[in-house]
Amino acid sequence: MSKTHSVLIVDDEPDVLFSLTGLLRRDFNVHTAASGKEALAIMREHSINVIMTDQRMPSMTGSELMEMVRNDHPDAIRIIFTGYADTRAVVDAINRGELYRYITKPWDPDDLLEVLRDAAARYDALAARADLLKLLGGYLDDAHQLGERCGPSTLPEPQWQRFREQTQTLRELHQQASTAIYD
Amino acid sequence: MRVLVAEDSKVTRCLLVSQLREWDYTVVEARDGEEAWKQFQEQAFSLVLTDWIMPGMDGLELIRRIRETDSEGYSYLILLTAKSEKEDLVKAMDCGADDFLVKPCDPEELRVRLREGKRIIQLEQKLAEQNRRLRETQAALVESEKLASLGQLAAGMAHEINNPIAFVTNNLAVLRRDLGDMLKRMETYERARPYIRDAPTELTDQLDQWAEDGESDWLRQHLPQLMQSSSDGLTRVRDIISNLRDFARLDRAPDDSLDLQTAIESTLLVLKHAIEEKNLHIDSALDSQIAIHCRPDKIHQVIYSVLLNAIQASDSGDPLRVCLSKKDSEAVIEVRDQGCGMDPQTQSRMFEPFFTTKPVGTGTGLGLAVSYAVVRDHKGTLEVDSELDRGTTVRIRLPLAPDN
Repeated sequence: MSKTHSVLIVDDEPDVLFSLTGLLRRDFNVHTAASGKEALAIMREHSINVIMTDQRMPSMTGSELMEMVRNDHPDAIRIIFTGYADTRAVVDAINRGELYRYITKPWDPDDLLEVLRDAAARYDALAARADLLKLLGGYLDDAHQLGERCGPSTLPEPQWQRFREQTQTLRELHQQASTAIYD
Repeated sequence: MRVLVAEDSKVTRCLLVSQLREWDYTVVEARDGEEAWKQFQEQAFSLVLTDWIMPGMDGLELIRRIRETDSEGYSYLILLTAKSEKEDLVKAMDCGADDFLVKPCDPEELRVRLREGKRIIQLEQKLAEQNRRLRETQAALVESEKLASLGQLAAGMAHEINNPIAFVTNNLAVLRRDLGDMLKRMETYERARPYIRDAPTELTDQLDQWAEDGESDWLRQHLPQLMQSSSDGLTRVRDIISNLRDFARLDRAPDDSLDLQTAIESTLLVLKHAIEEKNLHIDSALDSQIAIHCRPDKIHQVIYSVLLNAIQASDSGDPLRVCLSKKDSEAVIEVRDQGCGMDPQTQSRMFEPFFTTKPVGTGTGLGLAVSYAVVRDHKGTLEVDSELDRGTTVRIRLPLAPDN
């Protein structure tokens, strides 16, 4: 499998960063950060698809970091990994829509890989959807103009009417979908 | 109340016995001191009425012997005699008699003197009972203090150990994966070795040497096993930590209603393999529709631990009884095995975390400790009756859900 996705791991414990780099290096471009601040700096420099952070860190907690990532880099898929005792804070974060998943420490290596692959796939799916929406916008505008310009002369009347109506419906749906995805 | 009457004169004895029976005492008669002593040894009496002068062992000797025994509970001893001097009374009381009656005794006096004895015995019994309860309460207090401090220690430890466990487990997984690749590369080098002609001789010599000492064969065979055994060990540590967290109540999940019959049946199903391996006969009497409000995963864990203990304690072919019933406002789960049981020493430590009698590697010593804590948290009780070589009964009482 070629490495097409970039993952950023954030943990204040160097052993954890080292260990996870070993696990993930084959499937992903791995970046590491020892604090929330460092993580944000890396995200400004590099395109990161998935960010996975420890919850308990000095100065900035994982959920605080995720809140900022959500604002600055809404495309990145966000994961927190945490000890059981932090579950409450993490569940709150999930409920606020800031997280894709959370993983408990100690994690199962195979499960973790699986979750990250899913996250990368989700990133692709979301990116594709965003592209689709963007392209579709232009396409629908064209279709609208085409409909207006051609008139019933090129097409039989019922077909032309249906084309115009469908184009109109799709443009409205597109409008709604475009506003909903980045609320 | 039982009374022992020792009197060698048949007439006096019969008279005494009939009077005593009239006053609702349960009477055992003895014709002399010897016989009385034998009766007393068989079963102690709280009230003894004895003549002084008797052939063979006299009343004083009988009293002396009774005082020397350390039977449970007090015996109130009344000496009957024709002697009426003050010195006689002193002598008798010095020997250990509680009271002294001069013959021939007036029935009314005998009645009140006996009643006095009975009153003192009852006071003594009440005191003993209170003492026993006090000791029990104290033991329970010590136990709960001990468990609470251990719980705190466990909580701190579990948290600290969690992180290293996490990355060591991960490292092992990485090592295992990458080692497989390394071994494959080594193999390729070995296969390529005959075709490498231009390499410096010291390098090819080294490769030849390695091929000869058979080291790479050993590595190929054993490295995967080393890895596997290390990750198994780590899994065990991880389970212990997770049990400790439960014991210390670190992770709280919402409560829910749980049907105990279903819970027990599904747990028995999970343990089916272990039960069949020992060919145990499960005799279950489970009342239906007994629901409790609880953390279902925790209660499942308790049922599992208790059943597993019973299975492990049982010998092949033994019966194992599992009951579920409703009593007052409580659900009662009872698991009774006829296995090895526990001696009093083991019983005194069975709720301690990490105390186990199972062979190394089979028990963590946390099953009963965690169960105890979980049941306590659900405002229930967990009792264990056990007798060495006879078996063990575990009784769990849990408050019923309000809508039951």
